[in-house]
Amino acid sequence: MSLEQFKDRNVAQNYTFIPVDEPPVEPLDKFKQVVKRTFKGELFVGLWVVFREMVRFNIHTVKYPMEKLPISPRYRAVHKLYRLLESGNERCIGCGLCEKICIANCIRMDTRYDENQRKEVTEYTINLGRCIFCGYCAEVCPELAIVHGQRYENASEQRAHFVLRDDILTPLDFLKEGKQEEFDGFGAVSPNADERIKKTPTAY
Amino acid sequence: MITLTIDGRKVEAKKGETILQAARRAGLYIPTMCYLTKVKPIASCRLCVVEVEGADGFILSCQAPALDGMEVRTNSPELFSHRQNIMKLYDVNHPLECGVCDKSGACDLQNKTLEFGVDTQEFSARDHKRDLRKWQFIGYDESLCILCEKCVHVCNEVIGDDAIEIHYGGYNSRIQPKGTEELECTNCGECIAVCPVGAMISTDFQYKANAWELEKIPATCAHCSAGCALNYERKYEGALEKNEPKIYRVTNEFEFSTLCGAGRFGYDFENRVAGRDEAAFKKALEAFRKADTIRFTSRITNEEAMILQRLKEKYGYRLVNKDAGNYRKFLEAYATMSGKSLFNGSLESLADADGIIVLGTRILTDNPAVRYHITMASKRHNARVVYMHPMEDEEMKNVVTQFVKYEVGTEEGVLALLAKTMLEGKIDVKKIEGFLKDLDEGYLSAESNVGEEELEAVKTSLARCRRIALVVGEDCINHPRATQIARLAALFERFGGISVLPVAPKTNSLGVALICDLDDESEGYTIGYNTPGDFVLSSLGEGDLDMPALNQQEGTFTTLNKRVVPTNVALPFKGYVLNDIANALGVEAEFTIDYTERLPKEKGFEAVRFDDIPYYFSNSEGEVRGYELRRLKHGVDSSLEDIAELPEFNGPILYRCDPVLQFGPQTYRASQLEGEEPVLYGAQQFAVAAKLQEGMRVRVNVGGVEMERVFKIDPTLKGTIALNPTFDLGLSEDLLSSNYRYSQSKIEVVGQANE
Repeated sequence: MSLEQFKDRNVAQNYTFIPVDEPPVEPLDKFKQVVKRTFKGELFVGLWVVFREMVRFNIHTVKYPMEKLPISPRYRAVHKLYRLLESGNERCIGCGLCEKICIANCIRMDTRYDENQRKEVTEYTINLGRCIFCGYCAEVCPELAIVHGQRYENASEQRAHFVLRDDILTPLDFLKEGKQEEFDGFGAVSPNADERIKKTPTAY
Repeated sequence: MITLTIDGRKVEAKKGETILQAARRAGLYIPTMCYLTKVKPIASCRLCVVEVEGADGFILSCQAPALDGMEVRTNSPELFSHRQNIMKLYDVNHPLECGVCDKSGACDLQNKTLEFGVDTQEFSARDHKRDLRKWQFIGYDESLCILCEKCVHVCNEVIGDDAIEIHYGGYNSRIQPKGTEELECTNCGECIAVCPVGAMISTDFQYKANAWELEKIPATCAHCSAGCALNYERKYEGALEKNEPKIYRVTNEFEFSTLCGAGRFGYDFENRVAGRDEAAFKKALEAFRKADTIRFTSRITNEEAMILQRLKEKYGYRLVNKDAGNYRKFLEAYATMSGKSLFNGSLESLADADGIIVLGTRILTDNPAVRYHITMASKRHNARVVYMHPMEDEEMKNVVTQFVKYEVGTEEGVLALLAKTMLEGKIDVKKIEGFLKDLDEGYLSAESNVGEEELEAVKTSLARCRRIALVVGEDCINHPRATQIARLAALFERFGGISVLPVAPKTNSLGVALICDLDDESEGYTIGYNTPGDFVLSSLGEGDLDMPALNQQEGTFTTLNKRVVPTNVALPFKGYVLNDIANALGVEAEFTIDYTERLPKEKGFEAVRFDDIPYYFSNSEGEVRGYELRRLKHGVDSSLEDIAELPEFNGPILYRCDPVLQFGPQTYRASQLEGEEPVLYGAQQFAVAAKLQEGMRVRVNVGGVEMERVFKIDPTLKGTIALNPTFDLGLSEDLLSSNYRYSQSKIEVVGQANE
């Protein structure tokens, strides 16, 4: 694709232009337009539609707290920390890239050398009160360990609630039931990832 | 000077310099993997190759000397692909664990792999199981190692431990402890510092933080008088803790400076306090109002010493600091003979020497920096090293060419004999000539046990040396006859053209000795600053008012190298500092560092503001840190006293000597070093003389301070002298710091070690 084409944002969109009259200029014309719009009775048309639909109980709005709209996988709400599907271990390897890239400086972690000679993440917090949900952490994560979830309701009575790791980490029982859905939003592997990988040679 | 052209630019080089050195000094970049400024070219990476006009093939710029009129190209498509191939080879089977590797972000392999755009790999090799080894402070991950050999060379050529080597075996090559199964060395950790990848690691720091998160605070090591440059690296204490920083590790600019294990691993000696303790502060002020004496140690900054001096001037306190007091007397006596206010030796002159005499110090533990410079001299210039001490030091044998054993207490006689041997015929002052002529050599030789042949051997050994250095240690400075010894040592500077370096016993002994007008003895009500007293100010957290530790203060130290070097605040201190007390008492300054420019000019200090003191490293200048004290003229008095009767020490003797990595209560507070058990090490012969057995718990009383020790036999030691540490004594350590280091104390057995 050439750069020209890339910059053309109207591709594949059939816009139709609505004919709009020239706005009146003369004071008399302006007055006429106001009178015409005031006494045409359009207000009552609208009120009638509302009343009619109310009586018919044909309601189109979402009853928000009870009902929720499905949202795009690319939506960026409160983070999730994923586990490895088989072992149940945390995916996070403690590389610290999310901490580094975070522009709101709201991620912190403690790591240590554990008994299995591996790097273990002992503490991981995201200060959601500061987080701007830019999605960089999910994008930079090499292990798909931190992803954005779809839980956008995060009001709380205490600031301390904004930083709990246990809330965002997949619970083990949840994982066992197979409810940890693979994330295909921000930072996820592209569908054709396999084709794009060049293999390292092994001569033997 | 030589002029050569590098990439079309005219570059000046000194004779004997390599192309790489010339390029670096001119700020031109040639990539390297294995080059380390402070050791000889290793030439294992071949990344530094350049093209030279008229020469066939590539030339290793780290080894090839710069020649006049040379035309050098550091970059061409051929060179690039050559270097890219080298990087590809380095990347073969290198574990892709950058995500958890400690070195990630500061890794030469990462940097160069990206620099040469290695995005595909054509090479491969069958890998095999590679071990992960862990010693006390140092860990080694074989699979990450790229075999650049920096660690081996720095251990051999700078540190002198020679504790690691390459196990050659093609693709199976690895680094391994030399001659032993486990790593046995002085744990300086320099191998960790120079490792370009994450193969050599600090076991304590491993996986705790990443290089890019840590904030570097350039500072000066507070443990000994060498005052080495280091960076405290800090980060928040824990993810859920409050916003207080914590030091995670210490690094150094390893290309230009070297650090010992105490500096590298003993960093968290800070004194944490919750806030300002007003009640204690009021009591402190009361104490200062009725005090007669302030007693303090030399582990303070120049500025604090200046505050104490101002307080003395205003309130007439007696200032008592025993070790700096002894050092001051030593320097004063020295000056009356040398004609200069300060000695002429320095660490640089030591590293540059081709003949070195070490007298009266167990230098390996007393001052590692001095030892490293001796090693450098030995490896770079093949320096002859004469080590004179009552105890042979097994670990110094890599560099020492001649060991001269003398009897305990006879330093004065030994130095006089040495002066006669080295300086005879060079002295043009009658009085001194006469003094040396009249020496009763027979008596001195007999008492000190230094024979004529040994002295003759020293003389022949050093005969061809042009740059000789004399290191005078704490045994001489704290000797009862220190003034005479100082004047004898000054003869070497004045007549022999020898650079003399008296090793200051503690961090800032030289600064205190120059700044404070010290008194000899305490009288009346005493305020102790890090020493016992009627009211104790302490940075060790065991006094009446808490003071900041040296990693919580900004200020300057005066090192044994005669340099005034700055140190910075690595960790905040919430309590009161000495300047607050001084302000309350009417000696006013807004900040402690306001005193930096007021340090006494008549002693050689300069009127430089703290913020203007330089602290940086560059390829052309190396380490640029602090300023050098001026050496001023001093009146000369050429008369010498007669040598006093040499003392005799018989039976078991205790030598005050801390083990490697320990320098007193400060290092003992550090989390990685606090586990060290105070052990009395002696030879089998000592055990027999003192009627002790391995593993006995003994109580000794040295200079009025009682301590309990476990006795162990060290097979490398000889004779009836045992090494008695004092690092665990807390505030009382200072009570011993000025005594003559050898003592004949009663040793009482109280039980077994495991009881």
